[in-house]
Amino acid sequence: MLNKTIWNKQSTRETVSGYLFMTPAIVVLGIFLIVPVIFTIVLAFYRVQLLGEVSFQFAGFKNFVRMRSDERVWIALKNTAEYVAIVVPIQTILALGLALILNTNIKGKSWFRVAFFLPTVTSSAVLTLIFMWIYNTNGLLNSFLGFFGLPTYNWLGDPDVALKGIMLMNIWATAPLFMVIYLAALQDIPESLYEAASIDGAAPWEKFWCITLPFLKPVTFFVIVMGIIGTFQLFDQSYIFSSGSGGPNNATLTIVLLIYQYAFKNLDMGYALALTLMLALVIMTVTLIQRSLFKEESLD
Amino acid sequence: MKKLLSSLAFSALLLLTNSCRSGDKNEGAIEITLSGWQSNPIESRLLEKVIDQFEAKYPNIKVKHEVINSQYMDVIKTRLIGEVAPDVFYLDAFEAPLLMKYEVLEPLNSYIKSEFNLADFEPNLINAFKRNGNLYGIPKDFSTLALFYNETAFAKAKIQQPPKTWNQLIEYSKKLTLYDQTGKVNQYGFGITPELPRQQFIIQAFGGELVDRNHYAAFATPESLKGLQLVIEQYRHDRSSAQPSDVGASSGDDMFGQGKAAMMLSGAWTIPYFKETFPNLKFSTAEVPTINNRKGTMAYTVAYVMNRKSTQKEAAWKLIEYLTSEATMKESGSQGFALPSRRSVLKGLDSDRHSLYAPLIAGSTYATIWQAGETLPTILTNFDNQFVSALIGQQSLKDAMQKAQDTANREIYLSN
Repeated sequence: MLNKTIWNKQSTRETVSGYLFMTPAIVVLGIFLIVPVIFTIVLAFYRVQLLGEVSFQFAGFKNFVRMRSDERVWIALKNTAEYVAIVVPIQTILALGLALILNTNIKGKSWFRVAFFLPTVTSSAVLTLIFMWIYNTNGLLNSFLGFFGLPTYNWLGDPDVALKGIMLMNIWATAPLFMVIYLAALQDIPESLYEAASIDGAAPWEKFWCITLPFLKPVTFFVIVMGIIGTFQLFDQSYIFSSGSGGPNNATLTIVLLIYQYAFKNLDMGYALALTLMLALVIMTVTLIQRSLFKEESLD
Repeated sequence: MKKLLSSLAFSALLLLTNSCRSGDKNEGAIEITLSGWQSNPIESRLLEKVIDQFEAKYPNIKVKHEVINSQYMDVIKTRLIGEVAPDVFYLDAFEAPLLMKYEVLEPLNSYIKSEFNLADFEPNLINAFKRNGNLYGIPKDFSTLALFYNETAFAKAKIQQPPKTWNQLIEYSKKLTLYDQTGKVNQYGFGITPELPRQQFIIQAFGGELVDRNHYAAFATPESLKGLQLVIEQYRHDRSSAQPSDVGASSGDDMFGQGKAAMMLSGAWTIPYFKETFPNLKFSTAEVPTINNRKGTMAYTVAYVMNRKSTQKEAAWKLIEYLTSEATMKESGSQGFALPSRRSVLKGLDSDRHSLYAPLIAGSTYATIWQAGETLPTILTNFDNQFVSALIGQQSLKDAMQKAQDTANREIYLSN
C-alpha cells in the first residue's frame, strides 16, 4: 500500500517534470497552432465583425451555403485543381529523373546537386520577381521563343497563359527539393539486389521497374502528399503575379488568395474561415484517397 | 558554445535596458505615431523636414513617422482591429467610407477652430471625408488626371495641337502608332490603364453611373457601355492603344516614359517622376479630351485622419492642423507630386510650372472624385477582372460588365 503511493508519487513527479520540460513547446504550439485551429472551426459558423464594434453572431451553415453560389470559389477551386493536377505529376517525375541521373557516376555530381538545389533555397518572392522579368513581354522567354520562330505570349497579361507561367516557375523551384529526397532513398537500395537481377539477366529498364520503383514507393507517397499540400496552398506566387487581385480575369485566383481577399480586403472573417475549413477538408480527402491507393503494397 | 549563448543573452538584455532608459529620458514628452505610404523618397524627406519643424514648435510632442509601403490598407485595418493603429494616418478617399461607417475614426468637427479656415479647402475634397455631418479627415492633397503627350512624337506625326475631343484622340492615336520593319508596333498612340479608378469618368460620360443609391453596382447600363466601348474598340479594332503589360512596362507612366505610348492619362505625380527618371523626355499636358461634348476627369485625394482609439487626441490634432496648414501646404506643394487641397495655395502655385500643371488644376472643377461608398472595393475587383477579359476579347463588353455587376452585387448582398 505504502509502496504503491510512493510509486504513485514518483510517477506524478515524473509526469510533472515531463510536462514542465514540454511547457515551452506546449505553450508555443498551443498559441500558434491549436488555439487558431479551434478558433477557425468555431468562427467559421459565425458572422464576425472585427472593425469598430467587435461582434459575433451565430450564422449556422450560412457561410457554407454562401460558398455554393459564390462563382469565385468555383473558379478558385478549378484553378487550384488544375494547378495541382499539372504541377504534382510533372514535378514528381522530374524530381525522380534528376535523382536517377545524379545517382549515376557522372562527372561533377556534387556541383550538379548544388546547382539543382539552389532554386529551392531561394525565397519564393524573389524567384517570382525574377520570373516576372523573364516573363516580361520583351523578356528572356519571349526572345527565346521568338528566336526559334515560336509564338510569343503576354505571359503576365493573358489569362490563358498566366497560370501556366506560375506552374512552370513552381515546378522549376520545387522539383529539386524532392530530388534530394529521392536521391537519399536511392542510396538506401541495396546494391546486391541489382547484382542478383543482373545475374538473372534483367535489362536496365526491368531493374528500374522491378527494383527501384517499388523500393521508392513510400518516398513517392511522401513526395506526392507534400506536393499536393504545397500546391493546394499556392498563394505568394499568384499574389505577386497579379498584385493581389487574382487577375487577369480570375486566371490566377487560388483558394488561399481568395481567403486572403475575403479576410483582409473585405474583412469578412467568418466566410474566410469557412473557406479555410473547406480547403483543409479538400486536402485531407485527397490525402486519404492517396493513402488508400498506396497502402496495399507499401506495407511490405 | 554555452559561453557564447550566455554572452549573447546578456548583451540582448543590456540592449533592452538601454532602450528602456533612452525612453525614460523623454519623460513628459508625448509620443504620437504618424503612418503613411511613401510614393517617392523626395516626398518622404520633405515630410521628415516638416515633422522636425513641428517638433521644434511643440517641444513636448514627439512624432514617430512610420512608412508602410506594401498593402497599406490591409495593415491599417488589421492594426485598427488589434487596437495598435497609429494616432494619425493617411487615408485614401476610396477607402474612407468603410472606415467612417465602422466609426473607427475620430470626428474632427470639435477640434477645428475658425483660424484653421476649413472653408479654404476644396469643398469636393472635404465632402469625401464627411458622413452624417461629421468630418473625419483633412485632405492633404489631391490630383486629377490630364492628358500627357509626347511632343517629339507629335512633331514627327505633324500634329500641332493635343486632341480636344475623344474622337480626335482616337484619330491621332492611329497616326501616332508606328511599326518597325517586321510589322511589330514600337510606339502605340495611346497608353491605357484598364482599371476602374481610371475609367469611372468614362462610364459617366454618356450618363451612366457606377453605383446606385444603395451602393450596388450599376455600371452595366447601355449608357455606361457606350463610354467603355470607346476604350475597348480602340484597343481591339484600331490596335492603336496598349496596356503596360503589352509592351513589357511596369506602369502607364513607365510605358509613356520609354516612348512606347505617345499619349496617356495621368496625374500630377508623373511630372516630377518624368523629370527625375526620364530627363530627356519632351512631354506636355492638356485637359482630358471631352467625351460626348462633356468635360470629365478623375480626382484622387488622400486625407490625414485620426484614430478614434488614440490616447493623445489633442496632440494628434495639433499634428494634423500643422500638416494641413497653409504654410506647410505651400512648402510641400512646391515639389509638385500633388496639388494642394487649400484653394488659396492652389491659386498661388508659381507660374513657371504653370503650363504643365494648369490642365490638372483646371480639371479640379469638373472631376469625379474616386469614391463610391463602402462597397467600392468589391466593385473594383470585379470590374477590373472582367474589363480586362473584354479588352482582350474573351467576351463582349456587355457580357463582361453584366457578369461583373452581378458578381459584385451578389457579394455585396451576401456580405450585408
